[in-house]
Amino acid sequence: MAPQLRLNAVAFVSPQNHPILIRTFEQPRQDELKYHYIAHTSLDVIDERIQAATASKSTDCYLGLLYVEDVAVYGYMTPLKVKIIIALELSDSIVRDADVVAIFKALHTAYRRSVANPFLRLNVPTENVTDHSILVSAGNSRWQAFRKRVDEIGRAVGGFQ
Amino acid sequence: MNPSTSMATLSASISALADPPPKLMDGPAMDYFVIEMVNTLRESSSVAISRTKKIEQEMVEAGLLPPPGSATATATTKRESARDSMSSTPRLDGGKGELSEEDEALRQRLESIGMHVGANVAERLCHDRALFSDTLDAIKFICKDLWVACWDKQVDNLRTNHRGVYVLQDNTFKPISRLSSWEGRADALRRAKLYVAMPGGIIRGALARLGFQAAVVPELSSLPQCTFQVKLPKGS
Repeated sequence: MAPQLRLNAVAFVSPQNHPILIRTFEQPRQDELKYHYIAHTSLDVIDERIQAATASKSTDCYLGLLYVEDVAVYGYMTPLKVKIIIALELSDSIVRDADVVAIFKALHTAYRRSVANPFLRLNVPTENVTDHSILVSAGNSRWQAFRKRVDEIGRAVGGFQ
Repeated sequence: MNPSTSMATLSASISALADPPPKLMDGPAMDYFVIEMVNTLRESSSVAISRTKKIEQEMVEAGLLPPPGSATATATTKRESARDSMSSTPRLDGGKGELSEEDEALRQRLESIGMHVGANVAERLCHDRALFSDTLDAIKFICKDLWVACWDKQVDNLRTNHRGVYVLQDNTFKPISRLSSWEGRADALRRAKLYVAMPGGIIRGALARLGFQAAVVPELSSLPQCTFQVKLPKGS
């Protein structure tokens, strides 16, 4: 029985617009660069939406469907300015907003649990606690737990192995 | 029907991942930890300081360092862990009440721990929230949600001069509410300065994670009342 929603890719972007993690779930894992490009272009769309949202005084984290380019791209911005972007495969069935928001919340939880790990950057001065590039460069090996959690979410959504 | 069951399983497992049930712990255990932490870190920082002093002494004897003419010797050692080497930051309590060298190192450790804790607590509390509309909204979030999460009450008084300086006043601040000293109130006040270093760090870390580089100064005038002065940089 084919699952309803297929999650193609997930991208996390820091407040300083540096990529934190980009992970794809397509079966033939060959188009990773495409998702880097998609994440990059969605940053502009997100900036637009945020400006529109502050102009209209709405404070919703969920930014909705950003744009469609053979995958449907949805965006979400946490109050701490971390942006989460997901790419869902286009399908004819109706995609419910509530489901997409639930996916975003699960991703936000995975991110915050991994970032709370104090061993991630032991020897780095804590003055730059906002500078995520230090977090990322601190060691790709330490982000494995994060990657596993994101994989779990991908599995829960789409039933991949 | 098949579509609805798969949708149901989707939402069940995702909502389990989206909103994990919180793991709860006993409240007083946290209070004991925080009290003991100050004493333990005092020991640890005095060990670290004596270690660096010994290294300095060896370097002086080997002729690598000029003999210490002033009291700024500790700022130049390079073998310390990163947390100690933050001594370039200016002392935050403005000269009121001199802290000895060991107390200063202890205060910095407590503050850095507080910053890490504050950043992650803020991250957790922002999970279900909407975006912040402006700086005042963020400060109100700190006064209400953060204070309730850490210290079971809300801030009693918030004042601002609308130019980036906020004063948060708490009339019975939980960490120092049970503090007393047999040598009298002045001594209790002096010791309490270290116990408010970590809460100051928590506030600073939470603001930093929200995107505001602020300076937080805790001020104690009479136990158990405590005020935190938060200075945000110009333009926010």
